[in-house]
Order: sequence, then C-alpha cells, then structure tokens
Amino acid sequence: MNTQTTSDAQISSVAQSRSVLDVIDVTIRYGTKPAIQNVSLSIPQHRITAIIGPSGCGKSTLLRAFNRMNDFIPNVGMEGRILYLGSDIYAREVDPVEVRRRIGMVFQKPNPFPKSILQNVAWGPSINGFTGNLEDRVEQSLRRAALWEEVSDRLHESALALSGGQQQRLCIARALAMEPDVILMDEPCSALDPVSTARIEDLMFELKERYTIVIVTHNMQQAARVSSLTAFLENGSLVEYGETDQVFTRPRNQRTEEYVTGRFG
Amino acid sequence: MSSDRLRRRHATTRCFRLLCAAVAWAGIVILAVLLFHVTREGIRWLDLQFLTAFPSRFPEQAGIKSALWGTVWLITLTAGISIPVGVAAAIYLEEFSPRNRLSQLIEVNIGNLAGVPSIVYGILGLVLFVRFLALGRSVLAGSLTMTLLILPVIIIAAREALRAVPDSIRHAAFALGATRWQAVRAQVLPVALPGILTGVILALSRAIGETAPLVMIGALTYVAFVPEGPMDAFTALPIQIFNWASRPQEDFHQLAAAGIIVLLVTLLLMNATAVWIRQRAERTGR
Amino acid sequence: MAKSPLAGAGTRKSRTKEELIRFVLFLCAFLSILTTLSIIAILAWEAYSFFREVRVFDFLSGTRWTPLLEPRSFGVLPLVAGTLQIVIGASLIAIPVGLASAIYLAEFASAGVRRVLKPVLEILAGIPTVVYGYFALTFVTPLIAAIFPQTQIFNAASASIVVGIMVLPMTASLCDDALRAVPESLRQGAFALGATQFEVTLRVVLPAALSGVMASFVLAASRAIGETMAVTLAAGATPKMTLNPLQSIQTMTAYIVQVSLGDTPVGTVEYQTIFAVAALLFAITLSMNIIAHRVLARFREVYE
Repeated sequence: MNTQTTSDAQISSVAQSRSVLDVIDVTIRYGTKPAIQNVSLSIPQHRITAIIGPSGCGKSTLLRAFNRMNDFIPNVGMEGRILYLGSDIYAREVDPVEVRRRIGMVFQKPNPFPKSILQNVAWGPSINGFTGNLEDRVEQSLRRAALWEEVSDRLHESALALSGGQQQRLCIARALAMEPDVILMDEPCSALDPVSTARIEDLMFELKERYTIVIVTHNMQQAARVSSLTAFLENGSLVEYGETDQVFTRPRNQRTEEYVTGRFG
Repeated sequence: MSSDRLRRRHATTRCFRLLCAAVAWAGIVILAVLLFHVTREGIRWLDLQFLTAFPSRFPEQAGIKSALWGTVWLITLTAGISIPVGVAAAIYLEEFSPRNRLSQLIEVNIGNLAGVPSIVYGILGLVLFVRFLALGRSVLAGSLTMTLLILPVIIIAAREALRAVPDSIRHAAFALGATRWQAVRAQVLPVALPGILTGVILALSRAIGETAPLVMIGALTYVAFVPEGPMDAFTALPIQIFNWASRPQEDFHQLAAAGIIVLLVTLLLMNATAVWIRQRAERTGR
Repeated sequence: MAKSPLAGAGTRKSRTKEELIRFVLFLCAFLSILTTLSIIAILAWEAYSFFREVRVFDFLSGTRWTPLLEPRSFGVLPLVAGTLQIVIGASLIAIPVGLASAIYLAEFASAGVRRVLKPVLEILAGIPTVVYGYFALTFVTPLIAAIFPQTQIFNAASASIVVGIMVLPMTASLCDDALRAVPESLRQGAFALGATQFEVTLRVVLPAALSGVMASFVLAASRAIGETMAVTLAAGATPKMTLNPLQSIQTMTAYIVQVSLGDTPVGTVEYQTIFAVAALLFAITLSMNIIAHRVLARFREVYE
C-alpha cells in the first residue's frame, strides 16, 4: 500500500538517483507552535545532503523526524508523511525501534556510553540479534570510522578517556556497527576543534560510498565542503533545495543568497 | 549619628549570625550527649556473652542472639522484596509512564505514603499479612510490612538517581534501535546504580530501626531461638531494646543501652557504606 | 501488498516482550495505590464495626478514655489532647531551632560548614525512635526531675523534648530547601539598597520563603503526631486531659501500642478501638501532609 507513493507529485525531482527518504508536506508542532511547516523534499541514496539555516529554523527538528527521535519530546505533533524506501515510517504498524535500526544518528555532542570502547560499538548489534562475529563487526566499524588505528590496543578502556574528536568518531562507529542505510548527523562537529572537524569531514566523504548521509550544520563552509545537496530552511519552511554548487553560487531565492553570503544568521 | 545606626545594624547581624550558628551547632552537641550517655550506660554489658546469649529474666545472662538474627532475617528478606519492586516502580515512573492522570496520581500517592505514620503500616501488616494472608507472626509477615513501609523511600531515591542520568545516554541508545527496556537495562540503570544503592541502603537502615510496625504485628519479645525459615516467629533488635527499656530495673535499662550500641554501630556501618559508594561513583564518573 | 522494508523479523516478538516488561513495571508502581487503598479499606472496615457499638459523636467529643476498664468510656479527646501536648512541645523545640539552623545553613554558613553540619543532621534523622525513647526515659526525665522534683517518671515534657529533637533535622532540611529556593537576585537587590545581612534574611528571604517554611512546619508536626516509640516509652499510659507537662499522659499512637502488646481479645469492641484511633490518626496526618505538599508544590512553581 505504500509502494506507489514515491511518484507523488509533491516530491521534488532534484535528485537523479534513487531516493531513500521522501518528506511529503511535513508540518511539526511543539504544542501549537509550528517548528516545521509544509516541508517536502527527497534525500537521494549514497549522497551527503546538508540542511542549513539560522539557529532555531527547525533543522534539527526535521532531522530528528527522520528516525522518529521526536517521539521522545512531549507534545510534539506531526502531519504529513516521511517515507523510507517507500514506506511511511510513521504508519501505525511501524515500530519506531525498527526505523532507528536502519536510520542511525550521530548527535551534536559526543555521547558515548560510560563503558569500554568495545562495549560502545558492540552493544547496538548485540541487542538487535546480530549473530555473526561481533569482534569483526567492531573492528570493521572502527576502521570505517577511521578510529581503529588509534584505539585497537585499548578496546577495553573507557570511552570517556578518548578526546572529543575521538569520542565523536566512536559515536559514528557505533552507528555504523548497526549497518544502517542512512546516517543522520546533527551538527556533529559543533563541539570539536578544527583538526577533529576536518577528520570527520574526510570520514564523511568515505562513508558516502556506502551510506546515505544527512547532516544538519550551522556552518555553511562545512555544508559547501562536504555535501552534494543542500536544503536551506528558514522559520520552519524550506526556502531552497538543490545541488550544493547551485545553492551556494547561483541561489534562486533572495533569502538563500543573503544567508549563504553571510548577511544574516 | 547615622554611622551609629549603621554600627548598630551591623551588630544586630553579628548577634543574629552568632545565635543561628550556636543553634545549628547544638545538633552536634545533642548527638554527642546522646552517644556519650548510651555508651556510658551500656558499654559495661557489651561483650561476647551479650551477643551470643538469648534473652533472660536475669540481666547478667541476657543477650541479643535471637534479636540480632531476627533483624538479619528481617532485613535480608525486606531487601530481597523491596529493592526489585521499588526500583521497578521507579523505572516505570521515570522511564516508561505516560504523562497522564494515573501517573500523577501514583506520584502524589507515593509522596503521601512516605508521610504515613509507621504504626499505621503496622496495622496494615497485622490485618493484611498476619491475619488475612495467614502468615502469622512470622519473619515473612514482618518483612512484607517493612517492604510496604520503605517502598516509598526507595522509589523516591531511585527516581532521583534515574533522573540524574543525562538524556544524551538514552537518546544514544534509542538511536541504535534499542527499545525502552534495552536502553534502561543496559545503559541507564548502570549509570544510576550508585545513586540507587545509596538510597536503598538509607531506606534499609530506616527499616532496621523501625519498632512500631513490628510491635503491631506482634514480633515476640521473648524468643529463645534463631529463626530458621521465613515462616518462623522472630524478634528484632529494636523490639528487644524497647522491651528492656520499658522495664523498671536499672540493669535492664543498661542492657537496652548495650543493644542500642549494637544497633547504632550497624547503622553507622551501613551509612558509611552508602557514603563510600557515593564517593567512589563520583570519582569514577569524572 | 508489498512487504515493507521496515517489517523487522523479530519485531512482533520483541514488542510483546517489551509490553510485558512495561506491564510488570507498571504493577510495581501501582502497588503504591493498592497500599493506600488497603490502608483505607482496613481502617474504614474495622472502624465501621467499632462505630456500630459506639456513636461517632461520643467518640469524638467524649473526655474520658477508659475502654479497657469498667465503666467503659470511649471519648478519644484525652488521647488527642495528649498527642497535641507532645506536638506543641516538640514544635516549641523543632520550629525555632530548625528554622535558625536552616537560616545559618542557607544564609551564613560556608560550603565547608555545610559539609559538616548536613551529615550531622542526617545522622540525627537516622537514629531510630526507640533510641530517642530510651534517651528520654534515662537522660531527659532525670534531668527535668532534678529541676522540678514533682515530675512523674513518665511525663509529656520529656517525650516532647526528644520528639522535638527527632523532627528537628527534617524541619531544618526542609526550611533550608525553601530558603535556598529564593533566587539570589532577590538578595542582591536588597543588598544593593544597603540592607545588612540580618535585614535581608528577615525582611526579604524569609517572607519570600514563607509558604515553604510553613509547609515544612506542618510536615514536622504531622511527623510528631505519628511518632510512636518515644512517646510510648517516655510519656506514659494514662489518658488524661491536663496542661501540666510534668504529668503522665497518653498519645493516640501509644494507646495503639499498649493494646497490641496486651491480651485484649481480637474482635471485641475494646480491641477495635485501635482501628478507630488509627483511622483518626491516619486522617489527621494525611490531611496535614496533603496540605503541606500542595503548598510546597505551589511554592516551587513560583520560583521555577
């Protein structure tokens, strides 16, 4: 019943490749106050899509809607639909837990569990019925997160002993260990120094071969550097969405131009 | 003239401060007097014979063996029942409960239960456990009564410990596809554990000293045996102290003091454990 | 219908398990409601049997309490008066000392002093009531008797004093919470107007914290009403209406203990008196607690 909706006319045809997430006329409210208004867009597979906009524009709210993390905030209401590979993730019969197993998330501040590095990465697969070799999976995830070299000899030490940048890469490894399709990143570098930021940006480039990445950032240079598509949000509305080059160099909308050239925000 | 007034106003502050300080430190003085008095009265009777003898009509032969073992039984059973139930209730209220009328009612109710006089719990235990469930005047009936008495304390403490766990840990777990229970069991609970343990120990130390509910359910005062199972009759340390203290003879008063020393040392050890757990958690938490 | 990519293999099973766990946890929380309901049901049922024999009015207004002696009389007022005497006596100690300690802790004391005093108060609060009873009987009473030779062995004054000491930590800690909830900006505003610490505390902080402070007094009084072992040991077992604190009296709680220690046959009207007295005790303490918690909740709202 959900299979035909990808051809919905409201979906922007901005992406040539197959779309993984389709946002259809989504409105999100905190209580009665709308945080996101009538947003529609499609997130293409194996690309990095950046969501930018001034603080308070609702970009994090939109991102958290993709893996139903807004469920944990009281009084949040949503209208519209969000399709993952054609299936409505907010459909009544869908278990949000199942959604989050496929759509991973990296948070603004590194939030490793206060346990060992190994336990941090291994926990996700182990609670989700992973039956293969857990140690291999841990190593593979840490390698993909470009952290293996630094921690391979101290996997049993506390994750809290790592530096901020390492902790964030550990959080990425932890998400990768679930073998998700999509990784959502909510300002993943905002708490990090420039060197760590650069490492994570490099990492994102490598990851997009295998994963679809959506990143929320308040840093326009970062969006311009890493993403292939950029969505600009203001006051909860989608102002412009297109190829990153185009959005930054030939914006169609006046407000977008003012924002990307740093005249406000 | 005006500087005179100012000086007077400052003098008032100094006097007031001195008064408040004196009164506040009086707490320490009272504590010291109480401990000194109890020790002076009871220390003479405190020997191995006192710990290993059963109660007796003759003060020099009397001991607290049955009371001590009764308390051990009582507290072990109480801990075994109240900790899982209390922590589970706290987990429900803090992690699972929808914000609806029923949860609010439960919350307010727990707050009020914490203020119900302990003797009322004694009556509840007497009618519900001793008579209605026909458990008799057994250790089990006593433990169930104590459980109901300290559950509110455990729940309130455990909720505070759970609330202190940052949401970022929960969100990290949920984002990995954990269910509520998986997130709580594997990530939230371990972080909250030291806080929960501290609260549990304090609640149990309250149970150790509680007398009125045990008197109500008829914990026997003359028990010349050690309970061997949860259905056995029992006596407990505070009951034995009460019994001795309510006799007119001076010697028995001193026995009561000796019993109090044992009771207070036990409480002190438990509190020290709680403090140690708290400090260790604070050190490793950083 | 195409298979949804979100239909996980183990989803249904794990969802059922999750619901089951949730239900068990809920039952544990719901136990508290059952506890309250059982207390009310038991007290109401047994008190009902009692009031079939004794008129409610006679119970509440009678001034003679001799249920165990002939001629029997079931007027609860002597027990209430005894309880009231203990509460008033205890409040005379706990309220001024508790409030002054709280003011010292919240307004004057350094962090180091707090670190010493707070645990001392916690230890005082953790001492079992039977220990206070012993202390009253063997230390406080002889002390009073040394000053007033006509003092009886069991007397209200001695019990009042130790009950006051018992509820003191609770009063101090709740008052301390209330005072510390007053925002710093209020103090600084007053200091900026040239007020001294004394004036700030008494004219600004205390009035701002008043409802919280009053609520803590009510909670302390309610605790004193329910106190059992200290009054059983030290205050005596003679229900009477007297204003003389040096005489033996009996409180509601002490009466309940007296009957349960005795050999009054279960099921008789004499035995059922304890449920009537306990129902009264429960009603009084519960209403005081509910009022205090309401006031505290409103107080916290103001400063949040």
